[in-house]
Amino acid sequence: MSLCVLEDVRKTYILGDVRVDVLRGVSLQIEPGEFTAIMGPSGSGKTTLMNILGCLDVPTQGRYILAGKDVTHMSDDELSRMRSEHIGFIFQSFHLLPYATALENVLLPTLYLERRLDGRKKRAMELLALVGLEDRAGFKPSQLSGGQQQRVAIARALMNAPRLILADEPTGALDSATAKDIMTLLSDLNAQGTTVVVVTHDPEVAGYARRIVRVRDGMVVEDRQTVSETTERRAHGAVLA
Amino acid sequence: MVPFWLRCADAWRAVRTYRLRAVFCSLSVALGVGAISIIVAATEGAYKQAYDMVDRFGPDAMLIFGESEEARATGRREKNITLEDVEALRQAFPTAYLVVPMSSRWDMIVAYRNRKHQTRLTATTADYSRSWSWPVTEGRDLTEQDVKGLRNVALIGRTIVQELFPDEDPVGKSIFVRNVAVQVVGVLEERGSTGPGHNLDDRIVMPITTAMKKILNEKDRVQAVRMRFVDATRMEHFEAEVRAFLRKRHGLQERQPDDFRIVSPREIVKFLVALTGSLVVFIGITGLLSLVVAGFVLANLFLLSVNERTPEIGIRRSVGARRRDILAQFLLEAVTLTAIGGILGFGIGVLGGPLLKNVAEFPMHFSWKAFAVGMVTATLVGVIFGMQPARKAAAVHPIEAVRKGS
Repeated sequence: MSLCVLEDVRKTYILGDVRVDVLRGVSLQIEPGEFTAIMGPSGSGKTTLMNILGCLDVPTQGRYILAGKDVTHMSDDELSRMRSEHIGFIFQSFHLLPYATALENVLLPTLYLERRLDGRKKRAMELLALVGLEDRAGFKPSQLSGGQQQRVAIARALMNAPRLILADEPTGALDSATAKDIMTLLSDLNAQGTTVVVVTHDPEVAGYARRIVRVRDGMVVEDRQTVSETTERRAHGAVLA
Repeated sequence: MVPFWLRCADAWRAVRTYRLRAVFCSLSVALGVGAISIIVAATEGAYKQAYDMVDRFGPDAMLIFGESEEARATGRREKNITLEDVEALRQAFPTAYLVVPMSSRWDMIVAYRNRKHQTRLTATTADYSRSWSWPVTEGRDLTEQDVKGLRNVALIGRTIVQELFPDEDPVGKSIFVRNVAVQVVGVLEERGSTGPGHNLDDRIVMPITTAMKKILNEKDRVQAVRMRFVDATRMEHFEAEVRAFLRKRHGLQERQPDDFRIVSPREIVKFLVALTGSLVVFIGITGLLSLVVAGFVLANLFLLSVNERTPEIGIRRSVGARRRDILAQFLLEAVTLTAIGGILGFGIGVLGGPLLKNVAEFPMHFSWKAFAVGMVTATLVGVIFGMQPARKAAAVHPIEAVRKGS
C-alpha cells in the first residue's frame, strides 16, 4: 500500500479579489522506503505540496490519503494527530526551541503524543547518538553550529518514529560541506527504511534522492527514478552494514 | 497521555526564559494578592479577637445595664434596675444558674496606712468571681454571709496589692474605702487589661449590701445584672425573653424604647466586625484594583510574547500539538506566573500586615485561609487575563507560524 496518495489535488488561495491556483491537479504516489526529491523553482507550488503532504494544510479539491487514511476532510485536531503519529518535519532554518536544550528539543514531539512512549529519554539520547551529538545533549541551540542544529532537528523528526520524513530545503542555510553531511545522514536513514521526501531547488541535494518529481506552475511536469551512483552505493553499503 | 508534570516542566522552561515578563507579571499580581491576604487575615483576626472576647465575657453570659441607649449616648446616668428586678429575674429564669447584681464607682479612694490609691469599686454578691470565672488566688472569696450580714470585707485586684501592699501580705489587713474600714479577705487573680485604660486588676470588690448602704448611699437601684445560662446555644432566645420580661415589669408601652440595655456575646462579635469593616472595604478596593491592573499587565505582556513566539507555536504545531495544547501551554505559563505572584503576595501580606497593626492596633491572623484565598485569586487572574493571549496563540495557523520562523 502506498504511504501517500495524492489524487488530483488542487489548492486555491483567495488573496483579496485575486484567485491564486497554487496547485492545479497534482496526482502522486509515494511508496514506503522511497527517497523522493520534489524540485521546482520558487512559486512552483512545491512548498504548498509539502504542506499538504505534511498535513499542515488540506487540498481545496481532490483527495490526500496518508497511511491509508483520507485526511482531506479531517479536523484540525485530527490533522495534528496525523502529524504527531506519522510525520517528522525538517526545516531550512532548523526551527528549534531557542530556550530548550538539544535533548529537550528532541523530546518535544513526545509532549503531544497520544500513545504512551516508554523510555522516551533513552530513545532521545539514542537518536542524538545516531546523529552524532550525544555529547551535546545539554547544549542550547545558540551553543551549536548550524549543522549541529539541523542534526538535532533530524533527531527530533525521528523521535515519534514517523512513517514519513519531510525536509524543506534542509541544507538551505548550511555550507556545502555541512550540507553533504546532512544529506548523507538523510540517505542513511532512508537506507534503514524511513521514507524521505525532500523539497529543494538544489540539484545537488536532489542528487541524493532516488526519485525526482519536478513541479512547475502547480503541476507535476516530470517524475522519474534516478538511481544515482552515490545513492546506490550508500543503499548497498547500509544494507551490508 | 503525557503526564501533567511534563507539561508543567515545559511551561516552567518558558517562564524562566522570558524573565522580564515573569518579573512584571508576578510582581504586579503579588501586590494585589498581598492586599487580599491582608484583608482575609484582618477579617479572620477580627473574628478571632471577637471570639476571644466572647470567651472572656462568657459565651453563656449576658449583661443587663439599667440605662437606656439614649441615656448611654448622652452620658446621663440612669439606674432603672432594682434589687427587686434582680430577684424577679432569678425567680423567672431557672435556666440562669447565676444572677449577679453589680454596681460600680470609678472614683473610690482606698487607703492603707499612709498609702492612697484611686480605684474602681464593684459592689456585688458572693457569685461575682464565679460569674466572671475569675478565681480568688489568696485568702477567700466573698460569701453569702458577707452579703447578708453587711460585713465590711473586700476582695482586691493585683494593682491594689501593688499600690497599697508593695511588701506585705494584704489578706486580713484593714483598709479604708472612703471613710469606711474594710477588711481584705482575698486577692483576685491577675487579669491584665483589655486595652489602654481598661486595667481589670485595678478594682476592689465588696458585698453589694455593705457598699450600697455605707458607701454608695443607694437604696435599691443597681447598675447592672450579669446572668449566666445553662444552655449557651440558646442565648438569642434568652435575650428576647429577658427583654420581654423586663419591659413588662417596667410597664413599658409598645412604642417606648427599652429603659435598659442587654449586652450579649452576639453583640460583641457584631461590634468588632463592624470595626474591621471599613478597613476591609478600603484595602479590598485597592487590592481588587491592583489585581485588575496586574491582569492587564499580564494580558499585554502575553500578547507581545505570543507575537514574538509565533515560530515556536509553528514548531509545536508541526510536531503534533493541537490548538488546545497551545492554549493550555500559554494558560499554564500565565497561571504559573500568577501563582508565583500569589506566593510572593502572601509574603508581602505577612510582612506588611504587622505594619498596619502598628498603625491601627489591628488584630491580624494569617492562616492557610488567607493563603488559599490569595492563591485562588492569583490563579483566577492568570486564567481570566491569560485566556485572550492564549486563544490568540492557539489560533495561529501552523503554516504562517512556520513561515515566520524562516
